[in-house]
Amino acid sequence: MPDLAIDIRNVAKRYAEHVAVRNLSLAVPRGSVYGLLGPNGAGKTTTIRMILNIIVPDSGSISLFGQSHLSNGATDRIGYLPEERGLYKKMQVRRVLKFLAELKGVEGKEAERRVEYWLERFELKTPEKDWGASKIDELSRGMQQKVQFIGTLLHDPDLVILDEPFSGLDPINAQALKDTIVDLKTRGKTVIFSTHLMDNAERLCDSVCIIAHGDKVLDGDVAEVKAAHGSRVVALSVASESRARIAPVLADRALVARADDQNRYYEVELAPGADAQVLLHRVVESGAAIERFELVQPSLHQIFLERVGATGVEEGMSGHG
Amino acid sequence: MVNFTKLNVVFRREYLERVRSRWFLIGTLLGPAFFFAIAILPALISLRQRPSTDLANVIVIDATGAGLGGRVSDALLKAFPQSPPPRVKVVSAGQLAGTEDSAVAAVVAHEAKGYLVLDTATLAGHSVRYAGRNATSINDVQAVMSSVKEQVLAKRLENEGLDAARVRRLTDAKLETRTEKIGDKGREKGSGVGNLVFGYIVAFLLYMMIALYGQNILRGVMEEKTTRVAEVVVSSVSTDTLLAGKVFGVGLVAVTQVLAWVGLSGAMMFYLGPILMERMGPGAGAAAGAAAAASRGLPMDSITGALPTPGASLMILGYFVLGFIFYAALFAAVGAMVSSQEDVQQASMPVMLMLISSVIFMQPVLLNPGSALSRTMSLIPFTAPIIMPLRMSLIAVPWYELTASLGGVALACIAAIWVSARIYRVGLLMYGKRPSFAELARWVRYAG
Repeated sequence: MPDLAIDIRNVAKRYAEHVAVRNLSLAVPRGSVYGLLGPNGAGKTTTIRMILNIIVPDSGSISLFGQSHLSNGATDRIGYLPEERGLYKKMQVRRVLKFLAELKGVEGKEAERRVEYWLERFELKTPEKDWGASKIDELSRGMQQKVQFIGTLLHDPDLVILDEPFSGLDPINAQALKDTIVDLKTRGKTVIFSTHLMDNAERLCDSVCIIAHGDKVLDGDVAEVKAAHGSRVVALSVASESRARIAPVLADRALVARADDQNRYYEVELAPGADAQVLLHRVVESGAAIERFELVQPSLHQIFLERVGATGVEEGMSGHG
Repeated sequence: MVNFTKLNVVFRREYLERVRSRWFLIGTLLGPAFFFAIAILPALISLRQRPSTDLANVIVIDATGAGLGGRVSDALLKAFPQSPPPRVKVVSAGQLAGTEDSAVAAVVAHEAKGYLVLDTATLAGHSVRYAGRNATSINDVQAVMSSVKEQVLAKRLENEGLDAARVRRLTDAKLETRTEKIGDKGREKGSGVGNLVFGYIVAFLLYMMIALYGQNILRGVMEEKTTRVAEVVVSSVSTDTLLAGKVFGVGLVAVTQVLAWVGLSGAMMFYLGPILMERMGPGAGAAAGAAAAASRGLPMDSITGALPTPGASLMILGYFVLGFIFYAALFAAVGAMVSSQEDVQQASMPVMLMLISSVIFMQPVLLNPGSALSRTMSLIPFTAPIIMPLRMSLIAVPWYELTASLGGVALACIAAIWVSARIYRVGLLMYGKRPSFAELARWVRYAG
């Protein structure tokens, strides 16, 4: 059994009107960057809140580093950046940070020392200006985001959970966050982040889990997931005068599940059980002048489309979830 | 599940952030000045005004035909030596109506404060009429009437054949009133009025602290919710711990403030008291102690005598602690329910009504602390924390009533915490429209 940071087994959460999480099992390897992907309302935030013991699941179990997440101090090993961010507006930056660290069990003096370190690292304390003495609402939005990051990392958590971390970030802070995630990983920490932006996930994640409507759609190592879906998509391009010739081939539902006209080429998804070689043969037979025939590794975005469906994506794109 | 290390962290933040705030400092410093203003100034003003009262500036219409008007006039002037003298108009019964009209005109023109009608019915000991600008002031009218009564009595005695000088000597009895309270253990130090003042101050202070700091908790919870800091906080600490830390932290702020007020007032009394005494004359020294008492000219020991025994103080503290926890928990739940400032007023209405109902009944309880109404109000858990301490400082409340009342408040407290903790847990991360009662009930059920 691999060393797991999080082990969620058969967790479900129902509300009066709807099911937030149906029967979710997840395994997040220790030391990995893990993406929780899914459209709005898929149950990502609910899952995260259950891990943090903010919400109690109706059934199932959650373990953190091999212990129940209910055991004493278990959630103190987590650093959490919620999607909706905010801090005590009228409180001094230093005091807010010390408070957050102490809530995670860092002892007072040590908390103060770490606050100074992070303020300097994020350039909130420079020889010219010390923002640590300012009140939160005197800071710019970008600086408030930095303070919030610091609050997430102050207690040196082994597991960092970031809910839609890139939403609302300016480019500089987005870059800083990316660097931080990579830095955490090199230091052996586990990072989980939820997002509906597949590009981010594809670049940063070692493993992903796609959930939709409270159910797990797929999960696993990104490379493996892509390989598993790789042979199903063909990039096909023919000379423009012979486009009409291949139309009947692409319309054959026994062979082609979906043909997406990208103008310069077709992105062809093979029907279940169909063989790319058969498709090639049929296209050659049609007499079309082939310019490109390539088996492509699908992007996470395409895998997401394929597995969740267009409706799910539309919902996902309409907001953050 | 309450984690005590984290409870301490939350508690410290709630306490220190409030105590450090500018408003706390201002409130603490201005509190005694404010009390001084609303309580002691009127007393000082009334003290200052007493020598210059012009109660004798009246028109005495004498239709008795027996010279009663002249005697009343003399008596009034003697009672209020600095007042403009009364004008006596001796008339026949037929002229009465016309004279009254002109007297009304004189009062309207501010030439006199009012007029007094003495007729045969007055002499017979039945009735007397007074009309004037101050006719609604019970104290004024009583002061005038005591002179009238004295003279009617004297006149009647003379009519029965007693010698005028003897009558004067006999009726001239200026009684200085001293009151003393008797409790279950017999005679107690201090007067009833002192207790009245003390009870009123205690009850009002309890109400004010619960209302002010209860709403302070509401605002604090709402701030955490609307700034979304709540989610970070509850990811580190359970909502129960957070709620408990808040209630204790803010409660201690209230206690700190009261203690600071008592300290400051004490210092003011100590330093300003003697100065006041000098400037106002001996009667005014007490003014620095307690206003209402001072206005009645009570000596200082009646105030100190009204101070409760250690046992009673403990009971009052108990009522404050339980009452505060009860209301604070409910206010916290309201704070967790609402997402916008506009909703606060309506959502907090039920809690405010419970709290205000205790103030509405303060007056009747003050007047009759032993009545069935007072007993009931001091047993209802949501009015008891304010009404019972008030009753306790007025009369000796039987132990079984105290036990029942305190027990009831404690039970209500547990119920309020139970319900509020659930609403708080669910509501803190719920945004959008204010929940209906049906939804609230569901929150309470599901939060388990």
